[in-house]
Amino acid sequence: MNELHNEERLIEACRRGDRESFRQLFELHKDRVWTIALHFIGDETAARDITQQVFLKLFTAIQQFRGEAGFSTWLYRMTANACLDEQRRRRRFLSFEFFKSDDGELNSMDKQQAQQFKQELVHEDQHAQLELSAAVKSAVKELKPKLRIAILLKYFEGLSYEEIANVLGCSAGTVASRLNRGHKELAKRLQHLRNDI
Amino acid sequence: MFGNHVHKQLSAYLHGELSSEDASRVADHLRDCQRCRTEFEEIEFGAQMASQLQREQAPDDLWADLELAISSHRRGAKNAEMAQRSSGFSWWNWKTGLVGATVVVIAALTFVYLNRQPEPGEPDNRPSWEVTRLDGRPVIGKQRIAEKGKLPLGEWLTTDETSRAQISVGQIGEVKLEPNSRIQLVETLEDNHRLAMARGKMEAFIWAPPRKFFVETPSALAVDLGCSYTLEVAEDGTSLLHVTMGWVAFEWQGRESFVPAEAKCVTRPKLGPGTPYFKDASAEFQSALTAFDTGSIDSLDVILTLARKRDALTLWHLLTRTDGETRGKVFDRLAQLIPPPKKVTRAGVLSNDRTMFDLWWKELGLGDTEWWRMWKGDLPTQSR
Repeated sequence: MNELHNEERLIEACRRGDRESFRQLFELHKDRVWTIALHFIGDETAARDITQQVFLKLFTAIQQFRGEAGFSTWLYRMTANACLDEQRRRRRFLSFEFFKSDDGELNSMDKQQAQQFKQELVHEDQHAQLELSAAVKSAVKELKPKLRIAILLKYFEGLSYEEIANVLGCSAGTVASRLNRGHKELAKRLQHLRNDI
Repeated sequence: MFGNHVHKQLSAYLHGELSSEDASRVADHLRDCQRCRTEFEEIEFGAQMASQLQREQAPDDLWADLELAISSHRRGAKNAEMAQRSSGFSWWNWKTGLVGATVVVIAALTFVYLNRQPEPGEPDNRPSWEVTRLDGRPVIGKQRIAEKGKLPLGEWLTTDETSRAQISVGQIGEVKLEPNSRIQLVETLEDNHRLAMARGKMEAFIWAPPRKFFVETPSALAVDLGCSYTLEVAEDGTSLLHVTMGWVAFEWQGRESFVPAEAKCVTRPKLGPGTPYFKDASAEFQSALTAFDTGSIDSLDVILTLARKRDALTLWHLLTRTDGETRGKVFDRLAQLIPPPKKVTRAGVLSNDRTMFDLWWKELGLGDTEWWRMWKGDLPTQSR
């Protein structure tokens, strides 16, 4: 309760243009924005850009924040949007997304090429793949963006389906369906680790 | 029973998101349906895997990057506001206004289009400076460079622990970026070559006339006055300037320091430029100066006692950072080391007479005030 009250005071001070309060607000939330961005996009340089973008937007738009949706929801929404925008911007790069059909499966004509590409990456990152958390991280990175963001909001932030729905602008039913698909995809990709835990 | 499989609700069931009625329906179904039970185990395993994800700690220097971005944003907003104020719309009739507004919108859109970050694969039309790799694989934006690269306006150049790079500052100089550094190209105008440094170390060699090259740090602006220098920016935004040739000025919210060759100056977040000192000053003198710059007025006595004739540079700056009798003490010690010219009086200096500051400066043997202050009209005014 006190924490919430403190955050409200910080937001109010930020609205008045108090730089120190903005810094405190940044310190309070930087790890959660950074974690989502890093796990969503997968590289530190882009995660840095996304985090900076989110807080710069927060800084410039905090005057308009009226508190109807809750500050955290607002922050998560900006983070999710920045991540999804970056993903869209990257679509022109050759990536796994390129090989996927709408249902997330690989097209048969490209399967072999994609497999080879994947194996090369796996080989490069073989050492890290030995670590369970690195393997999970990598599997999450390969999820379709909409499934990935739902998984990150659920497991890093512990949001309820209703809260995730508010952040992503969809229904709780859609969130349930995305998490279902996300879990199944992860299970499929990490099948080889079943005996390790 | 099997006509109503529950596979769509399994994650919600696992996370306790179903109503008690729905949850018990799913539980009953799972007891009897092997297919849904297998799927539930699959989802449970996926969820167990996802719960292995761990929160990461954001890098310490993120705030420094953000402060620079905020400053750039504010500068942009201020310029836009000034442009709007000076446009004098009131005397225009609506037709002229409409045509003018259209021209402004087209110009603005063109500017934004030319200066935006291009999509991957699209040619980059932003003004840029050439970057040469010196060691390792420096990164521009998100791309590693091979031997040469272009640093476009608004973009960052980053080096890791093994890489170094050299930037050609238009036609006026060079900047070497050392390992673990991050720098952004902020402006490329003829009279305003500007970088913003978030962290790391750079070495600049500028052969242009004074006031053509600027480096923004999280705690001050370094203004080149024709020189060679190194600038180090720590994770917390504290910066150390070391001038090896010529002059550099540090500026922040009206507080300024003028740093000649062989001198150093520290600038700190929220405090701005500290007092410059020659690098051969004793360690005790330097730590007393650090204490003074960070708020300990008591350390002034140590500074005044240990000051050599050469440290008149430091004492002259201290005149501008003190007032009242504290300034009087600095006056007395500086007068012992470098006697003031006839026209400079204690009363005049205590009452902030800028002409007297200038006259005394000329006696320090550090060049004429006309030369080094030609780019700026005001004396440092901030006092403690």
